[in-house]
Formats: sequence, C-alpha cells, structure tokens
Amino acid sequence: MWPEDGAAGSAGDTEGETLGDEAYLAALSSLAGMGPARLERMLVRWQPAEAWSVLARGRLAEVTSVARVGEKVGQRWIGDARRADPAEIHLRHSRAGVTLRRRGTAAYPERLVGDPEPPALLFSQGESALLECPTVAIVGSRRCTRYGADVAFDLGKAAAAHGVTVISGLAIGIDAAAHAGALAADCAPPVGVVGSGLDRIYPRENAVLWRMVAQRGLLLSEAPLGTAPERWRFPARNRIMAALSDACVVVESHVDGGAIGTATEAARRDRTVAAVPGPIRSPASAGANRLIAEGGGVLCDIEDLLVLLDISRTRLPLQEAPARTGGGAPVTDATAVAILDAFDWMPATLEMLAERTGLDLGELAWHLESLGASGLLARRGLWYERRGETPVPAARPG
Amino acid sequence: MTATISSAVLQGVVGQAVSVEVHVSDGLPGFTIVGLPDASCRESRDRVRAAVLSSGFGWPTKRVTVNLAPGGVRKEGSGLDLAIAVAVLVAEEVLTKQQTAKFAFVAELGLDGSLRRVPGTLSLVEAVDPPCVVVASDAHAEASLSSGREIYCADTLVDLVSCLRAEVAFAFPPPPPTTAGTAAAEDLQEVRGQMLGRRALEIAAAGGHHLLMVGPPGAGKTMLARRLPGLLPPLDDEAARVVTRVYSAGDFGVPTSTLITQPPFRAPHHSTTMVALVGGGSRALRPGEISAAHGGVLFLDELGEFSPVVLDALRQPLEEGVIRVSRAAGAVTFPAEFVLVGSMNPCPCGNAGSPGRCRCTDAARMRYARRLSGPLLDRFDMRLFVQRPSAEELFRGEPGEPSAAVRKRVLAARAEATRRGVRYNSMLPSRDLEREAPLAPEAARMAEQAVASGQLSARGLQRVRCVGLTICDLEGRKPPLGGADLALALQLRHNPVSLDHSYAGSHVA
Repeated sequence: MWPEDGAAGSAGDTEGETLGDEAYLAALSSLAGMGPARLERMLVRWQPAEAWSVLARGRLAEVTSVARVGEKVGQRWIGDARRADPAEIHLRHSRAGVTLRRRGTAAYPERLVGDPEPPALLFSQGESALLECPTVAIVGSRRCTRYGADVAFDLGKAAAAHGVTVISGLAIGIDAAAHAGALAADCAPPVGVVGSGLDRIYPRENAVLWRMVAQRGLLLSEAPLGTAPERWRFPARNRIMAALSDACVVVESHVDGGAIGTATEAARRDRTVAAVPGPIRSPASAGANRLIAEGGGVLCDIEDLLVLLDISRTRLPLQEAPARTGGGAPVTDATAVAILDAFDWMPATLEMLAERTGLDLGELAWHLESLGASGLLARRGLWYERRGETPVPAARPG
Repeated sequence: MTATISSAVLQGVVGQAVSVEVHVSDGLPGFTIVGLPDASCRESRDRVRAAVLSSGFGWPTKRVTVNLAPGGVRKEGSGLDLAIAVAVLVAEEVLTKQQTAKFAFVAELGLDGSLRRVPGTLSLVEAVDPPCVVVASDAHAEASLSSGREIYCADTLVDLVSCLRAEVAFAFPPPPPTTAGTAAAEDLQEVRGQMLGRRALEIAAAGGHHLLMVGPPGAGKTMLARRLPGLLPPLDDEAARVVTRVYSAGDFGVPTSTLITQPPFRAPHHSTTMVALVGGGSRALRPGEISAAHGGVLFLDELGEFSPVVLDALRQPLEEGVIRVSRAAGAVTFPAEFVLVGSMNPCPCGNAGSPGRCRCTDAARMRYARRLSGPLLDRFDMRLFVQRPSAEELFRGEPGEPSAAVRKRVLAARAEATRRGVRYNSMLPSRDLEREAPLAPEAARMAEQAVASGQLSARGLQRVRCVGLTICDLEGRKPPLGGADLALALQLRHNPVSLDHSYAGSHVA
C-alpha cells in the first residue's frame, strides 16, 4: 500500500527550505545522458542532495570517477547543474500531475523492491493501485502482422476482463494492440511503461491511446518530463516492464526484437515467460517461436493466459474459442471456403491465392472483397490475412 | 534588288512559314539580318556568306539586308540558311525569280556550300506555302513523309543552282530501306510467373491506364515495363505523324526517315530535370521526354528518386494529354499522351512489401512514401505489387502467353473504345461512364460499400469503373460490369503496404 498523497505531500513542501530527495533525483535524472547505471553509481557514493551539490560546485574529477563518465559528459552535467534548479524541476512535475516515486519510500512499487536493477526514481501519472493486481506484460514487435495485432488485442482484453493489469510499452504494433484490448475490456485499465518523458508522446500515432492510458490507467517512466525518446532508453524501459509483471507474454517478435529483451529480463527475474507461436515462415514470429524452443511457455489459446496467471487452474470448455475452420461463419460458398483454406493462416496476396486456388483473378478478387466485407479477411496494403474472430455478420455484396 | 524566298522555322514541334526577304542596295558593304533572329539564326550571316563565296558566286560588295517575315515571331535555328543564300543569289541575279518561284528552301549550309538536314524537317516542310520544297539530300526521305509537297534535294549550293537553272535535272536519293516493321520488342513470353503483373500490363495497354509498380529490387518491375510497348497496337497514321514530328524536332536519337509506327518507350533517368521531362528550354522550346513518349509508354524507374517538383509537373499533361510550355518568348503546346508506368521500391530497404520483413524505421518509410505526392499517386489507376518470383516459377514455370496473343485482345478492346469515341477507355469522360459502364447489381453493391467504408473516393470510383470497363472489354463481354470486373479493378487500386499511410496496430487504437 502506498498512500496516494505521499508524493504529492512532498511536492507541497518544495516551497520550504528542505527539498525532498525526489527533487534532487528528478534533477539528476534530467541531466543529458544520465542513465540508470550512472545514476546508481553516484547514489552508492552520495545522497541525492549531496550528488547535486558536488555537481553544482563543479567538482569534475569526483564526478567523472564516481559516475565513470568522460570529462566531456562531466563538464556538461556540471554546466547543466549550475543552470538548473531542483525545486523548479520538482514543481514542474507536481504541476503536471506527475507523481515522483522514490526507491525506499512507500510510494515505490513493491515488485521493484529487491530488483537487481531498480530505478532510483519513477515518474508516474494515473491510477497507481493498478500495480497491486496481478500483472502481465504483453509485448511484441512494432512491425507485427494482422494476426499478431489481433491476438495481442484478444489477450489484452481477456486479461483485463479477469482483473489482470496489462503492462506494455505503448509502442506501435503489438504494444498498441494489447493496450487497446485492455481498454476495450473496460475492467482493469492497462499500464504503459514508456521510454520518454511523460509529456513527450512517442510515437505520435499512439497519441490517442497514450492519453487514454494516462486517464484511465497508469503511465510510468524512468525519465523526467521533457525527456526525448532516445534509443537507449527503450531497452532500459523493458527491464522495468519485466520487473513489474508477474508474467511476460511475447506475441510476435523478430529474432532480435526488443520484446526478446523484455522476455530475457523477465526470465532473469524469475517471472513466467510465454510466447504465442506463429508460422515458422513468418519473420515477425521468429523471435517468439525461438523463445518457445528455448523453454518458454506456449500460449495456444487465450485461456492459456489465465492458466499461466493462476487465475483459472482448469481450462474453460472451448465454448468461447474462436472458430478456426470458418465453421461458425456464414460461409457456405464452396469457393469462398477453398479460398479461406488456401490462406493457411498466413498473409497472402491476390497473386499467391490465385496460384493456390487456380481461380481466375477477377473471380478471386470478387470473393476477397466479399470476405473482407464480412470481416473474415483483413487487408493491409496488398496482403490479406484471415481473421480469427468469429466475424460480425455484415451485409455481403452478392 | 530585292528577292523573296519561302522557308520555315520551328516553334516547338510545328513549323511556322517564314518569308526571307533580301534587299541589296548601294551603301557601305554590310550584311544584317532583322526580324527577331536568335543567336543561331544570326550566325547564318557568316555561314551563308562563306557558302556563297566558296561555291564560286560573288558576294555583293553592297549593303545586304535580310528580313525574316513575320517580324514578330522569334526565329531560331539554322534552317533558314539556304533560303537566305538563294535569296541573295536571286537578288544578285545569279538566279531568276521565275526559277525559284515555286520553291521553298529548308536546309542548313556548310561553309563549303554543302546542304545539311535541320531538326524538325518534317514539320518545316509541312508549314511552307509553295508546293515544292528543297531540302538536303539526307533529309529527303523524312521530308517526303509530308503529304501534298514535291520534295527536291541537292548536295551542295552549286548543284542546287544548276538544277534550278534547269541545266541538270534534280537527282533523287534512293528511298530508305523500309525498316523491318516491328523491331523485335521484348516478349511477354519470357516472363515467368507474375500472373497479376501480366494482367495489369494487358489492362494498361488496352485501356491506357497508368500503372505504378512497387516491389523489392530484382522483382522484375523494369522487365515487365519493357514489355508493355510490345502489347500496344502500332500507331495509326495520325499518331505516327505526330510522333515522327516530335522525334524530328527533338533529336531524340531515333531516325525519322520513315514514319515511326512503333509505340515509343521512354525511360528517362531519375536525375532528369523538369525541362528535359516536360519540354521547354530557355533558347528554343524543345519537346521533352513526355512528348517523346506520346502514343507510347513513359517509364519512370525509381519514382521515389525523382525530384518531387519534376514529378508534380506531370500532373497537367497526365490530365490533358498535352503540355503547354510558356516562356517570355512565347508559348507552345506539345503532344503528351502516354501511358505512365512508374516503379519504386516499397521502402528504403526494399522489403516492406512482405509483412514483417522490412527493417526500416516507420519514419524512414513514411519519408520515402511521401516522395510521391497524393495527387500524383491518384493518377495511377493501377498499383501493382511485384513480388520476386519463387525459384520454382523461375525454373519450372511454364512460358507465359506470347505478346502477340495478348496484343490481339488489346486490339479488340481498343476497337471497343474507338466505338465509344475515344482512343482508349481511360480517356472516357466521367459523364459518359454512366452510360458506357453500367454496373450489375452485385457490382453496384460492392462499389457502394467501398465508397461507404472510405477506401474509395468518388473520383476513385470513376477510375475503378474505367479499369473495370477495360477488364470487361478484354474478356470480350459487353457491359454491364460484373462483380468480378469491378473487384479486380478495386484490387488493382489498393495501395501497396508501404504507401498506405497507416501503421501496424493503429487500426485497434
């Protein structure tokens, strides 16, 4: 339990003569190039306020030897520290409604206590109680397929509907789909752990989703407001996602994708790691499949997620399992069925399908348009994919 | 003494009749040309004087004034040389007015008095008033393509004078060997796989629909594009004349001694400037690549590498079939009716077409896609994703249908278009589309759905209908358009994945 007003209280006394450690930590983290490792080395030696005064007094030799940084970086920190005011930085955060959660206080998330690489300070915005529920990280590739996005959406929705907090990174692709799914369940809102400052929405395409997560769920970041989405911040962010979750599910990932990094971090912390298998020919699933081969759990069904999280020990009967043969769908046309079968649940183009089915291009095009209209197929660019969900009955042309 | 001789100058690709008036009078010896000659035209002075002298005729030690009428039109080029020389000779009474009365003269002079061909000879010969035209020997064949003119030729000024004085008869060079009709264009038979690609080429050839090909490097985009001219029917006489005039005027490196009946294929490099592409120039207004592609195919390989300014200059000619180039010196209209075929990679790394295979950042991909402006993309009635053929297709695939068989269907479809009063379907005005391309009920439902779901604009629907009509024609059926026709047309209009400005997962957000 962390009191909701804990950090806010400390924000209130910034006007006073004693400034909280949070303010100094926030000021330290806002220095350019200040990563968790460098910050940690300084905190081992100094208290936050002490570290700040060392910087502000320009003791370059001490700074470079303790933080193990080059002279150039040290010089810049000193220059920045002389110009910046921790009280002002603190005030800016409390005005923006951002809560500062310092390690060692009650406001600090419990799962991070005793973590091998705990962040010294977390910036959060939103409903912090969400982290007390069971949590699952649903992560995956930004360059996902429609299949991956659909599965991530379904997993996010199922988890949230059972009161499990979905944690993801608010990136495009799988992350966005998982968040959207969790929001769609309208039960347990998701948590977004981001790499940039909480006011720096990245990527821009997810702006709507980002704001919805901030309003209904929780946003977390290790970086103070105004921090740009630098590349190195994302792997560092992944470790926080891994640490905050009870289980980590990789939906689709390339072999060297960031999601694999998250899964590795989760495994290091003894969290359950599972992956959604994909076609072996799909590069977008290669990483997830590899994870399974290396001993990760397999999610064959949405229900498996709940088993994984110990929410339902027994598997539910298959009443809600998606129809995979098109049997439940209103497809009676033999040609349409043959076309659906020709997909093999892999993305395919008009040309590929024409070769597999031997149909005339025009006739095939007609069926693809019809199947797309009835929700059985999804098109992205020139690629079609079969959709797993039982389609919403829609008026089909013809 | 005065003398007046007919000739012509080139304005764009059409000729403008010019009468060359020479006045030789007493006064300080001198030679001036008036009547808006440009630099190359003023240089005639020195060429003409040298040619006359080296041909053994005297140059008057008097004041020689040449006027090029009409005086308000800027004259460019060296085609007036011969006319000026002959006019001087008439004024000097080397020749009589009767001897030259029914002739016009179109040739450049060498310093030794030899006659040379000038660009645009065909248009110039067509423009002059007199019924007989004298040109250089090497331009005789081209000049003879004009109708209703008697063409004479000579090798040198001396020969010409003898002929005009009727001392010797005009000699005629042997007619050029008729080039064996079709220069074996690359055949569609050699293409393995690419079922949709072949179909799209056929539709483009029949309906004149512009085609955008997107695909990874080495997938065969260029190979496909090169086979499009082979599917086009030969140019009709009217179009062949227009094309020949353009090639004659523009010096595009194609001999114009016979009519060009083969539809041209132009593939300018992506470093091409706007002027080189659409025509123009500061000195003389020359036709550009798009006019050289008139009646044929303009292939822009690596569309993404072209300067956006250059590409957007294509929009007006794509719409109107002509390009109007206006400069301070005047405005000319060039023909520019062509099938545009563009090709580009789907993204900087080239793999974006296949799901999950691209390694580019989204920002890089967007930047790449943005090089093609929306309005230009909209001009492409068909967007084709060309995939690398599989090994099996490459080595065991059956050879495809030969171009000749496809051309037969194309010809039949073109005949349908001619019946509708246009050269091909893509030129059908939208008000006629309602009448010519009615939709069968199931097609109408599909069209309605496509528009309602926002994937198609009203204008887009018109274009889809147009393509659908061509598909229908190619299969030898009569409208109304069936569901399959419209569906294939719709399929061919979908944007390839990388040009789709949406992101993975953004659909659920």
